[in-house]
Amino acid sequence: MDNIKSEKILKPAVVFEQPLVLTFTQDVKGFLFRYIGSFLLFLFTFTSVFAVLLIFLFVTLEAFPFLTKFGITDFLTSTAWYPEAKDGAEFGAMAIIVGSIYVTAISLVFSVPVGVLASVFLSDIISFKIRGIVKPIIEILAAIPSVAYGFFAVLILAPWLQKNLGFSSGTNALNSSLLLSIMALPTIISVAEDSISASGRELREASYALGATRFETMFKVVIPAAHSGIIAGIVLGMMRAIGETMVVWMASGNAAQIPNPWWDLSQSIRTMTASIAGEMGETAKGSDHYRALFMIGLLLLVMTLMLNLVSEYFLTRARKSLGKV
Amino acid sequence: MRITLDKFFTVLTGLAVMCMIAALFVILGPMIYRGLGAIFFRGTVEFRKMQLAEFEHGNIEKIKQEDIQTKQARQAVYNIIDKFRNGIDAEKLTDQAKQIDRTFGKELQLQDTERERYQELRGLSRDIRDKLIEAFSSTDIEQIKKHIDFVLRYESDERFRKTSAAQYFKLAHEFAQASEKIDFEKKDLYAGELNELEDIIVKLLGPDPNGNKPVLAQKRYGAARWDQAQKLMHELFWKEQWIEQENSKTLVRIETSRAEQFAGTELEPLFAYIKDNSKKMLNPQITFYWRYFLDDSTPGHYFGGIGPEILGTLFLTLLSMVFVIPFGVISAAYLTECSSEGPVIRVIRMCINTLAGVPSIVFGLFGMAFFVLFFIPFFGGPSQGCILAGSLTLAVLTLPVMIRSSEEAIRTVPQTYKEASLALGASKFVTFVKVTLPAALPGILTGIILSLSRVAGETAPILFTAGIAIGPVPDSIFQKTRTLSYGSWDMAVSDKLAAEVPHNQYGMVVTLVLLILCLNALAIMLRSRVFKKLKGH
Repeated sequence: MDNIKSEKILKPAVVFEQPLVLTFTQDVKGFLFRYIGSFLLFLFTFTSVFAVLLIFLFVTLEAFPFLTKFGITDFLTSTAWYPEAKDGAEFGAMAIIVGSIYVTAISLVFSVPVGVLASVFLSDIISFKIRGIVKPIIEILAAIPSVAYGFFAVLILAPWLQKNLGFSSGTNALNSSLLLSIMALPTIISVAEDSISASGRELREASYALGATRFETMFKVVIPAAHSGIIAGIVLGMMRAIGETMVVWMASGNAAQIPNPWWDLSQSIRTMTASIAGEMGETAKGSDHYRALFMIGLLLLVMTLMLNLVSEYFLTRARKSLGKV
Repeated sequence: MRITLDKFFTVLTGLAVMCMIAALFVILGPMIYRGLGAIFFRGTVEFRKMQLAEFEHGNIEKIKQEDIQTKQARQAVYNIIDKFRNGIDAEKLTDQAKQIDRTFGKELQLQDTERERYQELRGLSRDIRDKLIEAFSSTDIEQIKKHIDFVLRYESDERFRKTSAAQYFKLAHEFAQASEKIDFEKKDLYAGELNELEDIIVKLLGPDPNGNKPVLAQKRYGAARWDQAQKLMHELFWKEQWIEQENSKTLVRIETSRAEQFAGTELEPLFAYIKDNSKKMLNPQITFYWRYFLDDSTPGHYFGGIGPEILGTLFLTLLSMVFVIPFGVISAAYLTECSSEGPVIRVIRMCINTLAGVPSIVFGLFGMAFFVLFFIPFFGGPSQGCILAGSLTLAVLTLPVMIRSSEEAIRTVPQTYKEASLALGASKFVTFVKVTLPAALPGILTGIILSLSRVAGETAPILFTAGIAIGPVPDSIFQKTRTLSYGSWDMAVSDKLAAEVPHNQYGMVVTLVLLILCLNALAIMLRSRVFKKLKGH
C-alpha cells in the first residue's frame, strides 16, 4: 500500500462537475492506447512462438538438402556412420539413435524407482520440517551444471569404475546412464511429488480406515490415483536425459555401435546429442556431414516435441482427475 | 508380514532420498576439496618466481633473495650429476676433448709458434685426443687404463704446462676416478636412466640454470606446488615398472628404488641429498592464491588463473539477461493480466513448454544456423561465433524459465492490491507498473537469478556460437570468449596439458559450481522471504 503516494489519494479520481461522457479525442486516445498497447504486449509475448517456429524452420532448412539427397530410410536403418569417408560417405544413424534411447532407458531404470520412492518419502513419510531441508538439496542437484556432472563422470567416476569393476574403459554406457539418472531425478521427483501430495487426504484416510498399512495405501490407492502426474514426471525426466549433451559426450566413450550383447553396460556407445556436439566443430559448413548432423538435430527436436506432447497430455489428465477429487 | 513389508517400504523410501543426498556429496565433495587446492596450497619458490615473471606479482627483493638461497642448496645436485656424467656420458666427454684440441690449436696460432713445433704439438694433441675418445667409448676397464696411462704420460711434459691442453689431464683424471666406481656393463643403462632422472629434476627444480630459457611457459619453472614436488620426488626415488606376470595377462606395477639402482656410483648421494634438502631447495610456504580468480593463464591452464573465463561468463550471461528480461517480464504480464484463456494463449503456452523442452544442443544448432550464419551477418556483423550470438542463443534458451517464474511472481500478488489501485481510478497500465510490478519484483528477481544460474552453466549452446578454449580477452561483443563452462569441458576432455595440473582442472569447475550454487541459494532465500511476507498478509 505504501507504493501509492498520499497526494494521489487526495486528488479525486472523478471530477463530478464534468459530464462522465468522454470527448471524442479522449475516446480515440483511450482506444488506441488500449488496443495498440495490448497488441504490442502481444507481439512481445509472441516471441516464444516465433522462437519455436524459427528453431524448427532453421534446423529443418539446414537438414532438408540431406533428406532430398540421401533419403530417410538409410539414415534410420543403417548402422554405417562414416561421415568423413572420401568416397561414398555413409550416414546411417541407427547406432546413434539406439545409443540415445539405450542410455535414456538405462538411466530410467535407475531413476524411476528411486524417484518414485523419494517422492513418496517427501510427500507422506517425512515431517514438514525435514522436507524443507531435503527439497533444497534436490534443487541443488538440479542446478549443478551438466558440464560439472560430465567432469565428475570423466575424471572421478571413470577411473574408479575402471579400477574397481575391471572395465576396459571407464567411459561407457553405465557411467553415462548413472549420471543421467541423477540428473533426471530432480525433474521426476518434483512433478511426481506434486501429484502424489495433491491426491487428496480423503483418499489416504479412507484407506487407512480400512486397516491398510502405509505400503498398501501408497501402492494400491495413492500411486494409482496419482499415476498421471507420475508418468508426466517420468516423461519429463526422459526428455532431460535424451536431450542432455555434455554428460553423455564426456562419459559415454563415443563409439557409434549398438551394444552387443545388449545388457553389457561396459561398452562404449554414442548418442545423438554427443554426435552433434563432437562432430559439428570439424565439419565444413554446408557439407553433407554438416547437414546430416542437422538431420540428427531435427530428429532430436521431433522426439522431444513428441515427448513434450505426451507429458502435456498426462499433466492435463492429472489436473483433471485432481479436479474431480 | 504386512507390517514388515510396510517397515521395509518406509526404510526403502528413506534410502532413496539418502541415496540422492549421498550422490550430491559424492559428486561435490571431492570436486570442491580438490578445487580448493587451486587457491590454498603450499607454493614453492618456483611458484613465486613464476608469479613475478609471468604476472608481475610479488616482492622482487624477497624473491631474489629466496632464489639465491635455493640456488645454493641446489648447486650440490647439479654438481653430483655433472660428476657422474663425467664417468659415463661418452658423447659429451668426446665433445669436451675435441673442444680442448681446438682451443689448444688456436692458442698455438696466437702465440706465433714455429711451424715445425706447431705441427709436432698439434700431432701430439690429436693423439691424446683420440686416445681419450677411445677410452670414453670403451667398456673394457683394462683398455681404458691403457689409454688413460698413455695420456697421463704427457702430464709432466713441459710443453703442455700452462696451456689449454692441461685440461686433457684434468679430464683424464676425472674419468679415471669415475670409471673405477662404474660397472661398465651397465654403462648404457646408466645413460638412459640418467636422462630420465634429469627430466624429473628439470620438472622439479626448473630448467638447467646455465641453459637457454625454454619457449613454453610450463617448462620455464620447476614444481610450483609442494604436492607436485612431492609427487616428482617420489618418481625420482622410485622407478615405476609394469611387469607382465607369467600366468595372468594383467600387468603388475612394481616400484624399484633408484638409489639401489645407482648404488656404488657417484650418483648415490644424490637421493639422500634431495630427500634431506628438498625443503631448502624449494622453500614451500602456505599460499593463498586469491589472484586465481583474476589472473590470465598460460596455455592449457598450466600456470595462472581463470580471470578471462570468469569475465567471459559474466559478459555472456549479463548480455543474455539484457535480452531476456524485457521479453520475459512483458510476456508474463501479458499472459497474466491482459489476456483471457483462449486458443491463442493455449498455443503460446504450448510453445513456451516446447521451448523449455528443446535439448540444449539443438539450441546450439539453432544459434549457429540462425544467429551466426543469418541474423548477425544480415545486419552487417561478422559471420562467426561471437558473444552476441552466444548470448542471444542463451536468451532464447532461458526465455521459458524467465516467463514462468515472472508469471508465478505476478500471480502471487494478492488480487486486493490491484483492486484497491483500480478503485482509486488508476488505469490498468498504471496499476501494473506502480502496484503489481513492485510487489512482484522479489519474485521476478528470483526468476532472473535462476535464469542467470542456468545460463552460466550451459555449455552445449555456446559450443558453436561463442565458446573458445584459448584466446585473448575479447574487446567487443563480436568476438569469441572463454567461459567457465566451456573451459571446464575443455580441460576435462581435450586439453592434455591440463591433465598434469588437476588442481587447475578442479579449480575451474568448482568455481563454476560454486557460482551457480551461490546464485541458487540466493534465489531460494529470496523466495522464502517473499513467501513469508505474503503469508503475513
